[in-house]
Amino acid sequence: MSGSEVLSTLLASEVRGDILVLFHRNPGLIDTVDGVARRVGRTTIAVISDVRELLQLGMLRQKRIGSSEVVYLDRAKDRELLESVGNHLKTVRIGGEK
Amino acid sequence: MTASRSKTGASGFDQLFPGRAEEARVKTGVVELDEMLRGGFMPGDAVMLAGSAGTGKTTLALQYLVNGVKLGEPGIYVTFEELPDQIYRDAKNFGWDLRKMEEQDKFRVICTSPSLMLESGSDSLLDDVLRDIQPRRLVIDSLSHLEMFVKKDDMRMEAYRVIRYLKTRGVSSVLLWESPQISGGSFSVTDVGLSFLVDCIVALKPVEIESSMRKALVILKMRGSDHDKRLREFEITSNGIKIESAFTNYEGIISGSPRKVASEKFMEMFRGASEKQKKA
Repeated sequence: MSGSEVLSTLLASEVRGDILVLFHRNPGLIDTVDGVARRVGRTTIAVISDVRELLQLGMLRQKRIGSSEVVYLDRAKDRELLESVGNHLKTVRIGGEK
Repeated sequence: MTASRSKTGASGFDQLFPGRAEEARVKTGVVELDEMLRGGFMPGDAVMLAGSAGTGKTTLALQYLVNGVKLGEPGIYVTFEELPDQIYRDAKNFGWDLRKMEEQDKFRVICTSPSLMLESGSDSLLDDVLRDIQPRRLVIDSLSHLEMFVKKDDMRMEAYRVIRYLKTRGVSSVLLWESPQISGGSFSVTDVGLSFLVDCIVALKPVEIESSMRKALVILKMRGSDHDKRLREFEITSNGIKIESAFTNYEGIISGSPRKVASEKFMEMFRGASEKQKKA
């Protein structure tokens, strides 16, 4: 996935932005989707599709703990994705042309 | 069959494994506290750090972990209360850059829900992070939060499970406990019998003396080791906890009614009388 594709996936919705900010400010957060929703002040239904997208992207990871599914930030993948976004942004000029 | 003992008192078993009898202590890095603990906590012990809100439990626990990192012992801070960004910010005020330590894989702040900590299954919440950074020290802030998710009767069993999980992995743990009981007349640390599960109890307590609020620290219990039994005054400075001298001139501090000891009262009267004499 190119840097521009990663960037557009990350910024596809306001909710996704909130989830990204939550996990970047709190990289050690481990919680259920319900818990993540509460922490960003939204409902589970409102965040579930965005969490799924971030899981597909690899930024978040999922794990079963007992009877609960939890999500958490994959720090290594996160660094890799942000690096690709950073490299992409370096090539973009103001006005949108490369 | 009895184990033979050497002149130093070490058993035959101990002589087979030199260093076992006098294992290196887990230093808190707070010099005066380490002196009180006769060198530090015992390795692998579960330590309860009890106190009411605002007494400095979180600061002391973070200081213990940060000093551990400086000594080459990675640490984990598990919080049920504050979000990590608040902890990073507060730690920075004491000059501790937790984010930098995280980048170096020497430290982790884990934020989660107590209910997830209590989930039982083949995978534990902490398995991955324990594997990743191989911690020697771990803090749980706080064990009191588990109470909201388990029945009072089950609390002791759940706490035992958490303690055993950490001990099995050789991790020295500090478990914070919100303890309003030790402020006032009662001397009980927890009302669910956790004091018997832990190896060491350090209590922090606010005390009112001559119309000002001061803070006291006392080691209530330390399994298998001598320790300082005195109540010591401490302050939260810009570098963390600083332990001062003992409250030798006061009694009744734990009961919540500090008063000067009789000899000190006498000395005060004596000093007052001699000053009057000088003026006359």
